[in-house]
Amino acid sequence: MEPRPSPGMKMYVTVWIGLLLIVGAEVALTYARFPVGRLLALLLVLAVVEAGLGLLYFMHLRYERPSLFWSLIPALVVVLILMDHFWPDALRLMHQRLGAGVGAP
Amino acid sequence: MGEAAMTVGARPGALVEESPYGIPSRKLGMWLFILADAATFGAMLFAYGYLRVANPDWTRPFAFWPTIANGIAMTVVLLTSSLTMVAAVAAAQAGRQPASLRWLGVTMGLGALFAALHLREWIAMIGAGWRLFRNPMGGPVLFGATFFGITGLHLLHVITGVVVIGVIALGFRRGRFDAGHVETTGLYWHFVDLVWMFVFPLVYLLNVR
Repeated sequence: MEPRPSPGMKMYVTVWIGLLLIVGAEVALTYARFPVGRLLALLLVLAVVEAGLGLLYFMHLRYERPSLFWSLIPALVVVLILMDHFWPDALRLMHQRLGAGVGAP
Repeated sequence: MGEAAMTVGARPGALVEESPYGIPSRKLGMWLFILADAATFGAMLFAYGYLRVANPDWTRPFAFWPTIANGIAMTVVLLTSSLTMVAAVAAAQAGRQPASLRWLGVTMGLGALFAALHLREWIAMIGAGWRLFRNPMGGPVLFGATFFGITGLHLLHVITGVVVIGVIALGFRRGRFDAGHVETTGLYWHFVDLVWMFVFPLVYLLNVR
C-alpha cells in the first residue's frame, strides 16, 4: 500500500475548533425558539456538516482513494433516503388501523 | 489486470490483486461495519424523528441546567477524545510508540468520563421516575423508549470503544499490533463521535423546555 498524505495536527485542531463552534451554534438556535419542524431541519443540516468534517478529516476519507468514498457514502445515503421514504408509510398504516378501530362495532 | 498490478500475497506462492481501495482488508472491514452501524442508528433516529414531529404534545423535559449543560460537556469531551485519537494515530504512524500510547490513554480517559457523565444523567432521570415505558410528566410514554434506546445504544458503543482501545493499546505496547490496528480502532472511535453529533441535537436540543 502506498503511504497516504496526512493533514497534520494543525488541521485537526482547526477542525476540532470548527466542530465546537457548530455545537455552540446548535445550542444558540435551540433557544431562538423556532417551530419544531424548522429547528429539526436546521439541526440536521448542522449535524450533517459536522459528520462531513469528521468523515473527511478525522476519518481521513479525504485522503483515501476516491473509489472508497464512492463505494461507501452513496450506498449509505441511498439507504437513509429509502428510510425517509418508507417511514411515513408506517404512520399511514397506523392511522388506517386507528380509523378502522373507530368505525368498528 | 496485468501482472505488474499484482503483488505476492502472504501465503507462499499465492498471487493477490491489489485492493482497489488501496487500504488493508481490516480497514475496509471496519468501514463496512461503520456503514452497517450507521444504518442502524439512522433507522432509530428516523423513527424517533417522525414520532417527535408527529406528536404535538411530545414531552420536552430538558432544562438548560443541568441536562443541556451536561450534554454540552459530554459533547466537548467526546469531540476532544476524537482529537486525542487522531494524535494517537499520527504518533503511531510516525513510529513514536510512547506518545501514541499516552494519547490512547487520554482517549480512554475521556471516553470513560463521557460514560460517567451519561450514567449520572441516566441515574438522575430514573430517580425522577423515567422508565422505558413510563413518563412521569404524563406525556407520550414513547419518550422514555426512544431516549433510553438511542442513548443506550450509543453508550454501549462508547463503553465497547474504551475497552477495545485498551486492548489495542496493550497489544501495540507488546508489539502484537501495529499502527494500522491503531488507525482502524481510531475509525471506530470517530464513528462513535460522529453518531453523537446527531444524537445530541435531535434527542437533547429538540426536547428543551
